[in-house]
Amino acid sequence: MGQFIQFALTRAFLALVTLLTVSLIVFTLMELVPGSCAERYLAFKNTQGAQISIADIQAEERRLGLDRPFVERWGKWVGNVFFHGEFGDSCILRLNINQLLADKFWISLGICLSALFLSYMIAVPIGILSASSSNALTNNSLRLVSYLGLALPNFLLALMIMLVSTVLFGDSLTGLFSKEYRDAAWSWAKFMDFLSRAWLPIFILGWSATAFALQTVRALMLDEIGKLYVTAAAARGVTGSRLLWRYPARHALGPVINSLGFDLNRIFNELPIVALILTLTEAGALLFESLARSNDQQLAGAIIFLLTASIVFLNFITDIMLALIDPRVRRGLIG
Amino acid sequence: MFWRRKKAGAGVDQEAKEAYFTASQGQLIWSRFKSNRTSMIAGYALLIIILMGVFAPFLSPYDPTIAGRDPNYENGAPQIPKFWDENGFSFRPFIYATERERSMATNFRWVVTQNRDERLYMDFFVRGWNYSLFHIDWDLPGTAFDVDVALIRSDIHLFGVEGGMIHLFGTDASGKDIFGRTLHAIWTSLAVGTLGVLISFFLALVIGGISGYFGGWIDSVLQMITDAIRTVPPIPLFMAFAAFMPDHWSSETRFFFISIILGVIGWPTLARRIRTHLLTERTQEYVLAAELCGASSSHVIRRHLLPSFTSYIIVDLMISFPYMVRSETALSFIGLGLKDPVNSLGALMQNVSKADVLLNYQWYFIPVLFFIALVLAFVFVGDGLRDAADPYSGTKK
Repeated sequence: MGQFIQFALTRAFLALVTLLTVSLIVFTLMELVPGSCAERYLAFKNTQGAQISIADIQAEERRLGLDRPFVERWGKWVGNVFFHGEFGDSCILRLNINQLLADKFWISLGICLSALFLSYMIAVPIGILSASSSNALTNNSLRLVSYLGLALPNFLLALMIMLVSTVLFGDSLTGLFSKEYRDAAWSWAKFMDFLSRAWLPIFILGWSATAFALQTVRALMLDEIGKLYVTAAAARGVTGSRLLWRYPARHALGPVINSLGFDLNRIFNELPIVALILTLTEAGALLFESLARSNDQQLAGAIIFLLTASIVFLNFITDIMLALIDPRVRRGLIG
Repeated sequence: MFWRRKKAGAGVDQEAKEAYFTASQGQLIWSRFKSNRTSMIAGYALLIIILMGVFAPFLSPYDPTIAGRDPNYENGAPQIPKFWDENGFSFRPFIYATERERSMATNFRWVVTQNRDERLYMDFFVRGWNYSLFHIDWDLPGTAFDVDVALIRSDIHLFGVEGGMIHLFGTDASGKDIFGRTLHAIWTSLAVGTLGVLISFFLALVIGGISGYFGGWIDSVLQMITDAIRTVPPIPLFMAFAAFMPDHWSSETRFFFISIILGVIGWPTLARRIRTHLLTERTQEYVLAAELCGASSSHVIRRHLLPSFTSYIIVDLMISFPYMVRSETALSFIGLGLKDPVNSLGALMQNVSKADVLLNYQWYFIPVLFFIALVLAFVFVGDGLRDAADPYSGTKK
């Protein structure tokens, strides 16, 4: 037990360090976006008819603390995020980012996690089957269907489904809520309404993530299935799916669980494109908007940071879970 | 298993055994790959698509840029060559002449009609626009890096048509031939993917190699950095890099820059695999033996460790290829990658995303079919190579 606690603490520390490194990367990226917050504020004032000069911009920069050295600004940003959970104000929308994001981020995370779950629900059984079965026809057709998710560009899939549903049901399935629930508070009815629309992005994202998951599961399974302990188990009379699930699958799925966080990253990466087409009002679309259109550094930084924090957290959880199951993992990190 | 089938006679058996034991790693992989029918089919498909891309200028009858547009056939439907119709049979394939009309009768819109009585016969190996194969023309910032090399310059094309233009896949809104554009797009996307894969491969090899070979604290630090980079979603990274890209850059420069970005972002996964492999491999006796003989680190890495998993690397490259191509298309689709006058699969797919196109001009989808075929072929060949490269894969089924 002591070993486990030591492992958990080391992992937590490492996660924190990773998070700090990531926050530095994110913050640097946001600095690279052309223009600064001060210029944006004053550009807005300019549209209102006020005359502005270089001195005004510099004064505004001082007021916002933008004239401080890079490391100091980063420290302040990280400090606010870590200790107060505060991301500051958006440059363009002039709103508090926490208010702006609110449940939008949780919706995005929920969609991504569901897509992740869906992709492994498909990939694990098919991957194991594809690695072990010798029936070429089922094997190949199952793989073909899974890989189609990768080959069909997801924006195209979204468009096709939208078009078909518009023609057949007269509803384009876009957006996240029906009209009557858009501004309502969360309730059971609103949640059900959300589910009736969210399945589409979940399905699209999940399907396109399946290919990668399937390749991983299949490769790991093929590595394990030829090993001697499987032969030994088979010699003891364990057969069929019982053999597969009890022996090679357990070993093969370890690394899969370990990389769940990065899979989440891959799925979130696709989200803005799908969100753009389905006109979803969630964090992915907001991220795209703030990066590609309005150059809103503060908002983009907040969304990326929240996402990376969820990934680091998920990695931490899966590591802990693996360590609980597998004693080799615990020893691996310390010794 | 391929050698077990030959166990008919004792002499043959001996020969087959010898062939097996003396075969090089490459020969073994190839013979295992050959016995996998699905992968072989995918391999042929892939080869055909790649050749189509490489010989795109020769195969396409018209210049895929605005210079080769057909002003009389905008948004025109595909023209399929025929051998016979109600007017009789012909050994030379032909298409019908088209007429364009705008008048009171057509409500003042251009309407294209087919004239079934006038045949345009196809010609083969005709002279057309000038092109060069294996053409490298980079116009990088700074004149020292400019490259302009071509292996073959010619103006002969596989086919054309007498007294008109032929558009196998139809034309787009400005009258550009979609057949030619698709073939050129395959070439562009493959080139972006190859460059990206090579760059990420190089980075992965260096970083993963150092990390795995030296282990200890170097490994820990490098792994932390790798993990941090893997945690940041690539799209914002792309966007931040794309913000650097000035508008005045030529399409070739943009293209080159995008491949570099793809490569710089794609390395961590491969680096991690190389590192894991090296970590297990470097404790083997043969490495110890080499070190005791006084071999330097770089010598051990190059001559002993790398060859031990070349097959894995090839497989990994093959597997990461479709993801590179896909990233390029996704990037172009959101408008950050290659833009419309450039022929890349992503840029062509961008045109499909309008409801108007979905309902009226379905032939815009033909490039998408090529993209799907390309990705599927890559994935299946990758799987087949993976199975073939696994030395134990033959022994279990």
